[in-house]
Amino acid sequence: MKTDEKLRNDRMVFYTADVQRFDGELDGFLELSGARSALLIDKEGHLVTRRGETVQTSLESISALIAGSFAATREMARLLGESHFSTLFHQGQRDSIQVSLVGEMALFATVFDGRTNLGLVRYYATETAQRLEGILGDMKARGGAPGGAADQLSSDFGQSASAALDKLF
Amino acid sequence: MVQINFAQKQVNAKIVYYGPGMSGKTTNLEVVHQRAPTANRGDLTSISTDGDRTLFFDFMPLDLGTVAGMRTCFQIYTVPGQVYYNSTRKLVLQGVDGVVFVADSSASMVQENLESLKNLEQNLNEYGKSLATLPHIIQFNKRDLPDAMTVDELNQLLNSHGAPCFEAIANTGQGVFPTLKALAARVLETIHTGARPGTTGPQTAAALPAPLPAAAPAPAPAPVTAGSGTGYGQRPLHQTGYTQVAPGQAPASIPMHTRAPAPAPMPQPQQQHQQQQQHQQHAIPMQRPQQQVPGIDPNTRTSVHAPLGSAPVGMPMQPVPQQQIVRGHPMPAPMPMAGPSAGAPPNLQMRPAAPMPTSLPQAPRAQAPAPRGPAPVRAPGPRPAQPRAAAPRITTTTGPKKKSFTTVMLVLAALVAGAVMAVAVLS
Repeated sequence: MKTDEKLRNDRMVFYTADVQRFDGELDGFLELSGARSALLIDKEGHLVTRRGETVQTSLESISALIAGSFAATREMARLLGESHFSTLFHQGQRDSIQVSLVGEMALFATVFDGRTNLGLVRYYATETAQRLEGILGDMKARGGAPGGAADQLSSDFGQSASAALDKLF
Repeated sequence: MVQINFAQKQVNAKIVYYGPGMSGKTTNLEVVHQRAPTANRGDLTSISTDGDRTLFFDFMPLDLGTVAGMRTCFQIYTVPGQVYYNSTRKLVLQGVDGVVFVADSSASMVQENLESLKNLEQNLNEYGKSLATLPHIIQFNKRDLPDAMTVDELNQLLNSHGAPCFEAIANTGQGVFPTLKALAARVLETIHTGARPGTTGPQTAAALPAPLPAAAPAPAPAPVTAGSGTGYGQRPLHQTGYTQVAPGQAPASIPMHTRAPAPAPMPQPQQQHQQQQQHQQHAIPMQRPQQQVPGIDPNTRTSVHAPLGSAPVGMPMQPVPQQQIVRGHPMPAPMPMAGPSAGAPPNLQMRPAAPMPTSLPQAPRAQAPAPRGPAPVRAPGPRPAQPRAAAPRITTTTGPKKKSFTTVMLVLAALVAGAVMAVAVLS
């Protein structure tokens, strides 16, 4: 029973109200920093939300790669005796990516080009990461769904999933 | 860890193919990518060495479609199989929701299989998980090898948790989709109910259908014999996918992992009739002419054991341009094998599921290395002796400091590769 409870809780649930708060923070960051795009990704590489310019590629792939890169960075930090590296920066010829750690559960990635500069992006990204961490902290402290939220998985999810599997395979 | 995002109306789960080096993990993913409907598959991203060995991971998103109003996606990963890459392999396991353990059926690979399985358990334990509770499937791959062990033997060696197991010949596509479907069903069940996937203890060979004489009709897929309760905790686990077909007989599909309640025991004639019906039902999609993975010459492979259907199981093959097959089973003959490949430059490539937008600027950008040349062809016959870089002694003889330094360099290489890929993709 204890294992069942653990498994039931072994998931990250983002409710609409929470994601709207994330979006508000990301929009503010984009406006201040002049970055092209901002992504919030959980540590497993699943995209939580994205704001800004549309990225002409698979967001799943880019999220997975960013999470993989950051995981590798964390391992390097551990080997060097650091608890973690809080930011990661990749510079390209035109576009660059900065990734910031958001608490223990998420990553904040921003894509920017020559219209802004690294210092500006890094400054506002640090501030935004703290705000995002605050929202995640609120979610964790709250536990379940926000008050009045009607978000929940449909009771027929399992049955529908089974049918979808049969259709796909 | 499953992510349920009500704002995006999306459910994401992470599936990892695990197993010893060269057991066919990447080939499994390539087959899924090649044959999945275009609308459902994403790009296949590989971070590999020049020797076509996975360096960090292969990744492909698979979209199941909208399920009860939620877009349900599986993020499918493979890990580098060599023991040498344990640090990166452990990273990929973070947050895993389900594992396919791809075992090499060759008798010469017993030790590697056992070591990899033990390593999987150890790495899961570091994340507070265990095979005892994590949804997982065992796939016995390379069933066409002359020295393939029997399923009973493999089952006793590798399946101590009684997980469903499937036979496969991944480079022809056989057994690939039933394996993935079975795991997907278990993961989805976990998402919905939070129930622990059932385990019935060690699965004995007696639970498998007995081999039939050569002249006997092909058996139907292994039926579900119990399961009066709900959830996997009370579900029988002998849907192993193990069906033995005499050579020349009509192929029987590998049974899908099903949640249908078990049929009550029935008289033998009725049972046979139902089995025939099931067999016909499963055989329908297999009436198509056999379709091989592009680039693989069916004549170069000889099925000796031949317990599987001769036709690929699962969804219709999507035609894949030859140039997309840039890695996988077809190998150059003779191919200069990469050794431990610790110093080999990472090779990043993405095979797009759909043509990229033509409106993208063509200005020089940070580019991933161009795909390697034409698809190489593996030499027929026995597999060439691979210098398995994953020998444990490699890491133990280098000493702790050198090991740490090498690991840092490896991780750094993967990091740079990821950055290049990310920038290239974003452009």
